[in-house]
Amino acid sequence: MELLQLTLLGGVLALDATSVGQFMISRPLVAGALTGWVIGAPEAGVAVGAILELYLLVSYPTGGSRFPEGATASVVAAAAAHEGSGGALALAVAVGLVWGQLAGSTVTWLRRVNARLLPDPEKGPATAARVVAAHLAAVLLDFARGAAVTIVGVLVARPLVARLASTWPIAADATLGLLLMGGGVSVGILLRDLGGFRRRVAAFVAGFVLVGLGVGLL
Amino acid sequence: MSNGLPRAAVVSAFLRSFLIQGSWNYRSMLGGGFAFAMLPTLRRLFTEQPARQAALARHLELFNAHPYMSNMALGAAVKLEAEGADADTVRRFKLAVRGPLGSLGDGLVWATWLPGVSLLALTLYWMGAPGWVAAATFLVVYNVGHVGLRLWAFRVGLAHGREVGGRLAKADLAGWTERLQGVASMLLGGLVGAVLLGGDGLRAAGPVWVGVAAAAGAAGLLVGHRSWRPAAVTVVAAVVGLSALGWLS
Amino acid sequence: MPIVLYRVDERLVHGQVVIGWGSQLHPDRYVVVDDDLSQSQWEQDLYRLGAGGAEVVFSGCTEARGRLAEWRDAPQRTILLTRDVATMSRLAEGGALNGESIVLGGVHPAPGRREALTYVHLTEKEMADLAVIAAAGADVFGGDLPDSQRVDLDHLRRRWNSSN
Repeated sequence: MELLQLTLLGGVLALDATSVGQFMISRPLVAGALTGWVIGAPEAGVAVGAILELYLLVSYPTGGSRFPEGATASVVAAAAAHEGSGGALALAVAVGLVWGQLAGSTVTWLRRVNARLLPDPEKGPATAARVVAAHLAAVLLDFARGAAVTIVGVLVARPLVARLASTWPIAADATLGLLLMGGGVSVGILLRDLGGFRRRVAAFVAGFVLVGLGVGLL
Repeated sequence: MSNGLPRAAVVSAFLRSFLIQGSWNYRSMLGGGFAFAMLPTLRRLFTEQPARQAALARHLELFNAHPYMSNMALGAAVKLEAEGADADTVRRFKLAVRGPLGSLGDGLVWATWLPGVSLLALTLYWMGAPGWVAAATFLVVYNVGHVGLRLWAFRVGLAHGREVGGRLAKADLAGWTERLQGVASMLLGGLVGAVLLGGDGLRAAGPVWVGVAAAAGAAGLLVGHRSWRPAAVTVVAAVVGLSALGWLS
Repeated sequence: MPIVLYRVDERLVHGQVVIGWGSQLHPDRYVVVDDDLSQSQWEQDLYRLGAGGAEVVFSGCTEARGRLAEWRDAPQRTILLTRDVATMSRLAEGGALNGESIVLGGVHPAPGRREALTYVHLTEKEMADLAVIAAAGADVFGGDLPDSQRVDLDHLRRRWNSSN
């Protein structure tokens, strides 16, 4: 039952990223939270989602993007993180990054298929019925793709993470440090994208100080 | 009624715009979705089959823009078709508008609004807010901007048709992007503060990891997007290596 | 400052030109040579939005021929764009573009056109026009971005000949 729920969730979130809506329930933070809720481990889901969100901060859902698919990868990672203690978080994040890459290649495949599904006006008149059928078939196909990528990922990742987490050799603090190193790169890239160090350093420092004070007072 | 079209057709075009990327493909990109969203309008305007097919064909052609901002092209195309604009005008309008709608939307939404709201949520999370609060905050704030932008763009298109250029220049989206980038930079600083100083954060991992993260940040700042993949590969390789080590020992 | 780039691109002032070429060539001004656009205010308004703050001048082909020397001598760095080969070849008449480099990119499929590159499709007439421009002394080649490989006209023609 839980596996079915995760599969459907993967399909729906995959749709949100490009095909339907872009309400961004497909972002890792939300996808992780929803997955955690489905499997009854909400905080573990959010923890994985937050790390992956940090990684994918600089991945925009644009057409030509070669970044991983965050939605299905986050479901797979969050579902696997629940499977053990110790290194489960690190293993789940790594699985998410790898699975996102694989999932991204299925998106490329789908976009080639869509070109053949749609009527090409240069090769003959297009009717309304054919346009509607092709468009909705493409949406359905994306859902099926997301669902398939998710269930295969969950079936592979869960036993793998469960097996390896129990013998994870380093402490939780160091594990988090390792994961946040990757997040650090995202922060640098984003600062560059937002206008560059020179132009944004004042705002950056102001934010740092304000939150630092806030955390100190709390 | 808008432009002589029943309200139902206009509302249907707007609702269908949420599926405009439904058949994203490398030949026509948003072409299939644009034609799909135009269909209720075209059905009412062209009752004869050859004219309807010709209209459908011109909207199936290659079109690309930011999905939210493409609503401006959609609204304007509905108005142009309803007013009986000739096929060449419709085609030239879509060709001219897709560049600015793409670059303005990518800059405002994908490069600024999305990471900005994401930073807000992540900062809350690392400051100690419950996970569901962070996720819900992200969804609510992000979508107020998202749906608002879709509605605004569609209405501007519907009202101004091919003359949207002037209205778009007046709206100064590039200026809004610039201001929001300032706010997002502040949130970025906030996130770093929360991760560094928060309870479960990097401080607990020790100064070595703080130094490593700072070096990673500097690399990202200097190299930009090309540093992302090597960083992800490094983390995955480290996790694989440590797992193997743990398993063997 | 000379005109830093002559380019045939249907999309005119567009991301690939403004971000791709603009970030390397740092133009102050785009000159769009097109008879239809020079008469169409609403289209000019739209194309101006994509120029990232640079000035955009629209000019008919005859007027442009008269102003080439002025643009070449002006202090501004200029990128000159046409959306078809026909306009570029009229601009080049009488050897007006001798010694200049003309880059082809973003000419899409249309009835009568064959593929020369994935991003350049040409009719018989367009191919012949390019040969005339090149024979007069301009350097004509295909290239979508400044960092991507330049494809010489001879190579372009061979690929065009072998596609159907």
